[in-house]
Amino acid sequence: MTEANNIFKDVPCTFCGCLCDDLIIEVDGDRIVKNTNGCPISKERFVGHTENRCLQPTVNGNTVTLEKAVERAVELIASSKRPLIYGLSSTENDAQREAYRLAELARGVVDNTTSVCHGPTILGAQESGEAAASLAEVRHRSDLVIYWGANPAAAHPRHIPHYIRQPGEYIKDPKQDRKIWLVDIRATTTARMADRFIRIEPGTDLEVLQTLRALIRGNKLDATEVGGINITELEEIAAAMKSAKYGTLFFGLGLTQSWGRHRNIDAAIRLIQDLNAHTKWGMMPMRGHYNVSGANKTSTWVTGYPYAVDFARGYPRFQPGEYTAVDMLARGEADVLLNIAADPVAHFPRAAVSHLMKIPVINIDPKINMTSQVAEVNIPAAIAGIECDGAATRMDGLPLYLRKIIEPPQGVIPDRDILRMMIKSLEKVMK
Amino acid sequence: MNNGSVKVLVTSGRTLSQGRAMEKGKMTSDYENAVAVCELDSTAMESLGIKNGETVVVKSDIGEIAVKAKLNKQLVPGIAFIPCGPYFNFLLDSYTQHTGMPGFKSLTVSIDAAPGAKILTVEELTKMIKEAT
Repeated sequence: MTEANNIFKDVPCTFCGCLCDDLIIEVDGDRIVKNTNGCPISKERFVGHTENRCLQPTVNGNTVTLEKAVERAVELIASSKRPLIYGLSSTENDAQREAYRLAELARGVVDNTTSVCHGPTILGAQESGEAAASLAEVRHRSDLVIYWGANPAAAHPRHIPHYIRQPGEYIKDPKQDRKIWLVDIRATTTARMADRFIRIEPGTDLEVLQTLRALIRGNKLDATEVGGINITELEEIAAAMKSAKYGTLFFGLGLTQSWGRHRNIDAAIRLIQDLNAHTKWGMMPMRGHYNVSGANKTSTWVTGYPYAVDFARGYPRFQPGEYTAVDMLARGEADVLLNIAADPVAHFPRAAVSHLMKIPVINIDPKINMTSQVAEVNIPAAIAGIECDGAATRMDGLPLYLRKIIEPPQGVIPDRDILRMMIKSLEKVMK
Repeated sequence: MNNGSVKVLVTSGRTLSQGRAMEKGKMTSDYENAVAVCELDSTAMESLGIKNGETVVVKSDIGEIAVKAKLNKQLVPGIAFIPCGPYFNFLLDSYTQHTGMPGFKSLTVSIDAAPGAKILTVEELTKMIKEAT
């Protein structure tokens, strides 16, 4: 694949849910040598794409052919009673769809990394609805942007400079006409970029959100402070939120992973709904992996549910807390794990990791990660958005086409093709 | 002057160096240097009698692990921060409040100074968990 002078323009970044689609990627031979416009993490992803790669399929540490690795993976899944398929947020939509087909065929559970990031966001939305906004709409209209429990300076480095501190149709001067507030338990690096930092006590998000709801509804509260914030300041915050022309609440894992989980999100959604009785407000989760939002969408299209889907009875069932990966592993229920484009050994709590180490693991990933170290079967994959094309969904739900920039290493194919090989082979066994 | 343990609420999350190192590769020293870290406020550092970069042992109800202490002047007393990754997760129980989500933001730990204690590499940490299973 070539482009003028080996320079590729308007390339979508496949790191975080911002999916910034203005990268300029320069290629020299089979290597990416420059990433212009990308954040420091994006630069590492693109320019460092050849580092730490898994290049050969292995079974028990021995190099084998791709066919042999797939054959062993299928043997493990076919002989399993309770297979768990997990990951999927750092790959493209077609690979996700093949994973659901595989789960149905194997009568297994398929979960994506949402269960350990914005799973509670989805549960909250199932309870209370969704007051959505697009990133473009926020840039054009929003005069008050609040980040709650999110640290975009570290996790979404271009979210503020690319989408928020930019002029829009009705926001001519993004520094003067748009205010950025941060609500968090600690003054993160984002606090330095915000116009105002509001520190709350850990574990008090629900109380603070409900207090703001009460104040916005005009109730007087018999309290001097909530969550470490003086009631006078809370009254002033509520009044400012009500008087914004177009407010946006971006929220992160500080809200989904803290005490209260989906109840925090439920309260945040209802706060936004209350504000919409007075003015216009929208909200958006700060999605981490570039296509975790896509994993929810494809899972919902195909199975009816966004994550934690069990096919044991031949039809899909949804039960977070039961079919979510951490619970399945910590209970010792899964007897084989097929991991695709994630690293549960690095990111799961210890009891879940301990069980994972007792069962056969099939790991499909472009790079050598911690899960590779314990996997019986390792299969290398092409990096979506660099070595193969595909589609991914931005944090606001916008689907974007991912481009192939260079060829993958010799013999390495995309996740979707590996999964198709597994499905073809499994179909013969499961007849 | 070391006055013994400090008890703090430790929270985990992303950092820029963790993100960069993760993209480079988890089996690199960059990743270990980015995530085997505990950010502490100045009163905790003073109380432990340690300087920036010295080793501390962080203990939860289910285990303990050595990481490098890092002064974060923005933190308030009572709160510490460990970047998300295997070192924090080694200390974390798997209870999800029936939601699928563990308590990544709210782990109570005690921290002790441990000058000279060895910080495990990512590979050694994986091996240790495997041997214990």
